[in-house]
Amino acid sequence: MKSTFNIRQALRQSDKTGFWFVSPYAIFFLLFVAYPLLFSFILVFNRWNIVTPMEWVGLRNFDRLFRDPLFFKSIVNTLVFLLIHIPLQISVALGLSLLLNSKIKFRGFFRAVYFLPVVVSGVVVTILWQQMYSFDDGVLNRLLVSVGLSRVPWIVDPSYAMPSIAIMATWKNVGIYIVLFLVGLQGIPHELYESSDIDGASTRQQFWKITLPLLNPTIIVIVVLSTIGGFSLFIEPYVLTGGGPMQSTLSAMLYIYNQAFYFGHMGYAAALGFVFALIILLVVLLQRKLIESEPTA
Amino acid sequence: MKCVRPYCAFVVVMLTFAGGCANKNQTTTDSGTRAVQLTYWPAPNPEEIQLADTLVRRWNLLHPDIQVLMQPIPVSQSTEEVLLAAIAGKTTPDICSNIWPGALHDYTQAGGLVELSKFPDFDSVMAARTPRDLLETFSTDGKYFQVPWKANPVMMFYNVGMFKEAGVDSVPRTYSEYFAAAKRVTRDTSGDGQIDVWMGERDIRPIWWQRLFDFFPFYIAASNGQTLLRNGTVAFDNRYAAEVMGFFQECYAKQYFPHTFFQGGDPFLLQKKATNFSGPWFIATIHKLAPYLRFGVAPLPVPDDHVGPVYTYGNYKNIAIFSTTQHPKEAWEFVKYLISARHDLLLLKIANQLPVRGDLLTNKLFAGYFRENPLMLKFAEEVPYTRGDDPAPDLKEILDGISQEYEACAVYSKKTPDEAIHDAAERTKLIVDWNK
Repeated sequence: MKSTFNIRQALRQSDKTGFWFVSPYAIFFLLFVAYPLLFSFILVFNRWNIVTPMEWVGLRNFDRLFRDPLFFKSIVNTLVFLLIHIPLQISVALGLSLLLNSKIKFRGFFRAVYFLPVVVSGVVVTILWQQMYSFDDGVLNRLLVSVGLSRVPWIVDPSYAMPSIAIMATWKNVGIYIVLFLVGLQGIPHELYESSDIDGASTRQQFWKITLPLLNPTIIVIVVLSTIGGFSLFIEPYVLTGGGPMQSTLSAMLYIYNQAFYFGHMGYAAALGFVFALIILLVVLLQRKLIESEPTA
Repeated sequence: MKCVRPYCAFVVVMLTFAGGCANKNQTTTDSGTRAVQLTYWPAPNPEEIQLADTLVRRWNLLHPDIQVLMQPIPVSQSTEEVLLAAIAGKTTPDICSNIWPGALHDYTQAGGLVELSKFPDFDSVMAARTPRDLLETFSTDGKYFQVPWKANPVMMFYNVGMFKEAGVDSVPRTYSEYFAAAKRVTRDTSGDGQIDVWMGERDIRPIWWQRLFDFFPFYIAASNGQTLLRNGTVAFDNRYAAEVMGFFQECYAKQYFPHTFFQGGDPFLLQKKATNFSGPWFIATIHKLAPYLRFGVAPLPVPDDHVGPVYTYGNYKNIAIFSTTQHPKEAWEFVKYLISARHDLLLLKIANQLPVRGDLLTNKLFAGYFRENPLMLKFAEEVPYTRGDDPAPDLKEILDGISQEYEACAVYSKKTPDEAIHDAAERTKLIVDWNK
């Protein structure tokens, strides 16, 4: 009783201004984070298509999930995308940031140009690439044909479609990772390069022994960010391929979306979402364990 | 098209909500008395809008106390999306005449439809129009929430000129005959080394409803009238389904069907393909867009060892009254008006679609029409051999699963027909079990 009284008294005597200051975020959090999360958790145990009344099904959504080959295929597709996209993203971003960190003409212009696709809408970028990837009259295939090569089935062949999406996603997002790498590069003390110069180290040795180890924290951030971004792959396959051909670009997010809004299985989609969130958490933890190490320089 | 779906859905929801804001239950007549007002949604194609307009005008003249407002179903990806959004927003019309039986389960589960069999004269009205055994295929646990209105048997259209030019003398009835004809018809006519005329063509994208015009009717035909499910369990994991999948696989593998998605017009109308699988409404389309085209209609090709009549998919569209109506009796009167023999004749004349009537071929009222339209007679003769959609929840997802296997097996030849059918059946089992 005494402690309750103390809390009440403390609340009564405290300055209420702080509550007003935090209320916008608190309302936002309750409406757009806490409520949807709680509602999704309830949905996991129900069958509901928005129109019909909610029906309690217990763990049947999970029973279906673990017997659903399409969900596992969508996870594999997403992992394939990540395997292509992350190394491509890091190598391209690192290469370009090294160039943009050196003393070249129009450096500011190039930095802005590489960042431009990041601010353009994902749908717009995808429609642009859809034109470029078109089998019969796309710009890329026209170029190939004009130099005597045969057409590439960029998005109409199951084995080409996901790598094509990974290339497009890299082009779209590389700007932001260039910025992150530039920050990391500019944080490396210049004295290290000067002393290694005196010791006779080559540029290659400087890159492998100084630059890369000291960029390790940046690389971790980029790997984690691209992994989370990669797991939420949706716009590109939704607009470009619809998940085809032969479900080769059906990402986990697209499958969840289809279940929720195309087939009206809100409960099942919520169950898929929860399991998928757990998978993302596991992968990110594993990545941190594997990549995170103390700088050696 | 896909990228606009969310926006379409949003617009549809907003329109249906906005529609709900209006007072649609009563209106004032010329004499100043209060009249009941009903809202009627027909399908949004020009022929059916014209038919609905004619019928509603006549009704309103004859019934000043029950005025009907005709509004075509808002255009969207599908009628089913619009109706579900309207049920969710409680902004459904009183009556709709474009109910796909495959989606009925969703509507009834949502409590969105009036049980028509509760009307005292339902049995007598239906007995006078629709054969009992056919009517029973539209019941839900012995209750009726829909009136079978029209059927559109899926049959094979063929281009007489293209057949003649290729030296095809008789219309193919079996798969072998179809392939033999396809070998002659499919060729490069311009001499550039590229095939530019095909025996047939289907949309290569795995869109669920496309299967209602290829795999599903062909399976019904091959299996002498079986559908996908029997007593709620999967019934298509058999040799008939594999034969159908094999048929389409050969069509693509031997390039009788192109691997291209045609944009800029129907390839049958453009004389790029010699056969097309469609319903009777396609006759009106041909007459309107390609009046010069000489064409015929025949039953769908069947396996070589097939015996008996050739069944097909009926593609039924029915009439229902929504439970939001405040005037169910008046709405039922309007439904009875829609399905009267005289107005069924108008359905034939204006929309080229077949009313679900037992006396379609015997009633003298329709004889003149069929004399003038011998091709429609072929469709009418096929009606007794039609099957409808399985009354299963999630039929859309079941057809989507079959579409994915159709793409893998028929279009890309990455699976054998047996594997594809087995995988489609497994997926269907998963969906059916989950819904139990």
